[in-house]
Amino acid sequence: MISHIKHITFITTLCIFISVGCNNTKNQRFEAVKYDQLLSIVKQNDDKLYVVNFWATWCRPCMEELPHFLEVDAEYRTNKKYEMILVSLDMSSNLHEGVAKVVKTMHIQPDVLLLDDAKRMNDWIPMIDTDWDGAIPVTAFYKNGKQLYFHEGQLSKSELEQLIKKHI
Amino acid sequence: MKIPFIALLAIGMASCTNSSSTSHEPAQNDSTEQNEPVVVEEKASGYSIGDEATDFSLPSTKGTKVSLADYPDTKGFIVIFTCNHCPYAVAYEQRIVDLNTKYAALGYPVIAISPNDTTIVPKDGLAAMKERAKEKGFTFPYLLDETQSIYPQYGATKTPHTFVLNKENGKNIVKYIGAIDNNYEDASDVSERYVEDAVDALIKGEEIKTKTTKAIGCSIKDNRNKK
Repeated sequence: MISHIKHITFITTLCIFISVGCNNTKNQRFEAVKYDQLLSIVKQNDDKLYVVNFWATWCRPCMEELPHFLEVDAEYRTNKKYEMILVSLDMSSNLHEGVAKVVKTMHIQPDVLLLDDAKRMNDWIPMIDTDWDGAIPVTAFYKNGKQLYFHEGQLSKSELEQLIKKHI
Repeated sequence: MKIPFIALLAIGMASCTNSSSTSHEPAQNDSTEQNEPVVVEEKASGYSIGDEATDFSLPSTKGTKVSLADYPDTKGFIVIFTCNHCPYAVAYEQRIVDLNTKYAALGYPVIAISPNDTTIVPKDGLAAMKERAKEKGFTFPYLLDETQSIYPQYGATKTPHTFVLNKENGKNIVKYIGAIDNNYEDASDVSERYVEDAVDALIKGEEIKTKTTKAIGCSIKDNRNKK
């Protein structure tokens, strides 16, 4: 009887390890960050292409392009050399209401980081791109600590795909 | 159970490695160089500090047309591109009213201009603007850039976007471009009042310390910018 229990425990543990080990869907980050934290996330020396889209739930062109970003992310998200980060510029008080609601209804899988640094906009906006004056959406591509490309305005699905193919 | 535990860990990890190695790698396009998307947009040139700003004649919520030339006795203007629908602009409404209350008397009245294509954003149409002006007690002209010809000349790209003008030898010279202050979320937690500091410096005849600032805002809606 004891050996049976051990056997069952063994099989169960094996199943848990395999299922956990094989689970490709990592936990989604959904939190407010400061600019310094955001930079340390996207500027890692890990050979990964970080596709960083600045958006907000109130921004109409952002919401128009978001489904295209999610479609492209679905194609690439298992690629270890790729990561998409959606940087929300909503008010920090809206993170767990409006932003969370959009994440749920649109089934957003990429990490969503709310950049809670309104008082330092005049510092961090030029650090992302010197010519950017703050209109969104914009999308920046980072790899190994360097920004490879910066785009102001909407991107179509095919434009985004081509940019990822070029820089990944 | 110590040995099976380690063995299981190894099996679990190995199975993970195996599965991820079969993960989808997108096909490489051999001709990516030729396929670089044309995503560089034409940027509105717009004004730099020291440029002469154009005058205009735009319809107001009062039913009249308003020009800078209608104000011969002012020392300058606080021209703010703003609108009804944008949450950033809405967050600044009271502060814009306060700016006009404080600075119109000192010779620098606020002129607010709504720059969006009203077919894209009907909430920014003249009728809705009229309601908002009444509701919020706007004491300044709230104008519609109905042909969307003025905002590109100024180089406004978003709402709110402020241009402080100073009258010099009969010309309206651009002295400050950017945000109203450094905290759109909370007016009580502002530590830099860019527009007030700029106008105060002009009044005192001093050099403006911060002449341009950047801030997030709602991009101006214009069908001509659509690819």
